Amino acid sequence: MTSSIPADFFGRILYLLERYGMSFLRGAGVTMAIALVGTLIGCVIGFAVGVVQTIPVSKRDRLPRRILLKTVKVILSAYVEIFRGTPMMVQAMFIYYGSQTLFKINMSMWFAAYFIVSINTGAYMAETVRGGILSIDPGQTEGAKAIGMTHFQTMTSVILPQALRNIMPQIGNNLIINIKDTCVLSIIGTVELFFAAKGVAGTFYTYFEAFTIAMVIYFIMTFTCSRILRWAEHRMDGPDNYDLANLDTLTQTSGMYPFKKRRTGDE
Amino acid sequence: MSEAIIQVNHLGKEFGSHSVLRDIDFSVYPQDVTSIIGPSGSGKSTLLRCINMLEIPSTGAILYHGTDITDRRVKVEAYRAKVGMVFQNFNLFNNKTVLGNCMAGQTRVLKKSREEAHRKAIFYLEKVGMAEYINAKPRQLSGGQKQRVAIARALAMEPEVLLFDEPTSALDPQMVGEVLQVMRQLVKEGLTMIIVTHEMAFARDVSKHVIFMTDGVIEEQGTPQTIFENPASDRTREFLGRFRNA
Repeated sequence: MTSSIPADFFGRILYLLERYGMSFLRGAGVTMAIALVGTLIGCVIGFAVGVVQTIPVSKRDRLPRRILLKTVKVILSAYVEIFRGTPMMVQAMFIYYGSQTLFKINMSMWFAAYFIVSINTGAYMAETVRGGILSIDPGQTEGAKAIGMTHFQTMTSVILPQALRNIMPQIGNNLIINIKDTCVLSIIGTVELFFAAKGVAGTFYTYFEAFTIAMVIYFIMTFTCSRILRWAEHRMDGPDNYDLANLDTLTQTSGMYPFKKRRTGDE
Repeated sequence: MSEAIIQVNHLGKEFGSHSVLRDIDFSVYPQDVTSIIGPSGSGKSTLLRCINMLEIPSTGAILYHGTDITDRRVKVEAYRAKVGMVFQNFNLFNNKTVLGNCMAGQTRVLKKSREEAHRKAIFYLEKVGMAEYINAKPRQLSGGQKQRVAIARALAMEPEVLLFDEPTSALDPQMVGEVLQVMRQLVKEGLTMIIVTHEMAFARDVSKHVIFMTDGVIEEQGTPQTIFENPASDRTREFLGRFRNA
């Protein structure tokens, strides 16, 4: 069987794709699934932590509330520092094997994979979200407070939508990093793209060919994601023009008409 | 005389060891227009921000219909929904359209239905002459337009008192005119307002009560006639001298 493998580089690549194309695709699928889900859950964690960390504590608040907030904030910054400050590969080993030894929890490999990527992304996103919130002009918060909004209402209807827009490039960064970094999960036996490529490479001792294929697939995945996110950012910015509404029905002739955006107030 | 809506009693504010407001006393009655004038750095804006609890007063009390809102048991959000504020830098929500800006407070704070909020928003936007621009985002508007939308946003909450913090200071003369015109209309309709301003002619024409502040204290307060024509204090006379000679 091994004797039938072609001698030239491209021939070998085609041969590998023909025989093991499916296992590359499955690996790529697993990589994308973990990266997407991990980034999504990581964003949710990041938003939650970032929002809590930016809750203002004022002297008007009651003492128990102030103590509770302070405690929660300390715990959350410990989480952020520990998960940002240790390699994901080590965390994978630590959590996957540690949960068995220490807590007698038999984590499935899949759960561990999603869990590790999510919690890691969450730690980075928490800081990103905090930065995003701090970057919004305090005037926005004051405007919202002045019409009677609570901290929660101010966050959800004014600050977070703007912070989300500002941190979109960083969310894209995280997604791309996750697509690439899922390969460290091969250490706990997750068959993602890197593991699949390694398996194929070992079968025929075709390392260069198998990893050429892996490189190309990784690049296609990251490049596609970065373009999609760019497009999403553009969508979030909304149109540059707006329509003047014609509210006086008596003078209504042609309904809405477009109005080109002008630089300054020359109405 | 009817009961005061807002009564400021011996209000003081310190930033660290620096005292910016000392022993401020005045009252605002229904339909009064109160102007606060004085040199920059005299604490006018801080006073206004204290009245809306954006700054927490260090000493003294602010009574709203007799309830001290500096008491920590009082819900400031409910109070702020009744006492609106218009800022020097507009502070429109950048992520929302003109219409969204005027609806957000109504739907989220006052829990009105979308239909009612929409109707009210259009009503007040028409009043300030911005109803055509409901689909525009703040970044697409001029300063004067933004400020008029900000006024509509505050009015849509149907507040009892409206606070203006130097509403025209960031605008060019033409835009100042359009904003003051809207404000004059509100005065005519009997809205209770407290205005921090450098527009002396405007303050003189529309106010019922004028407060002149220097160095964190009220130097002098009274009717526009007293303050502008016959001030008791030398510092008031000195400050207004340039304006009166102009």
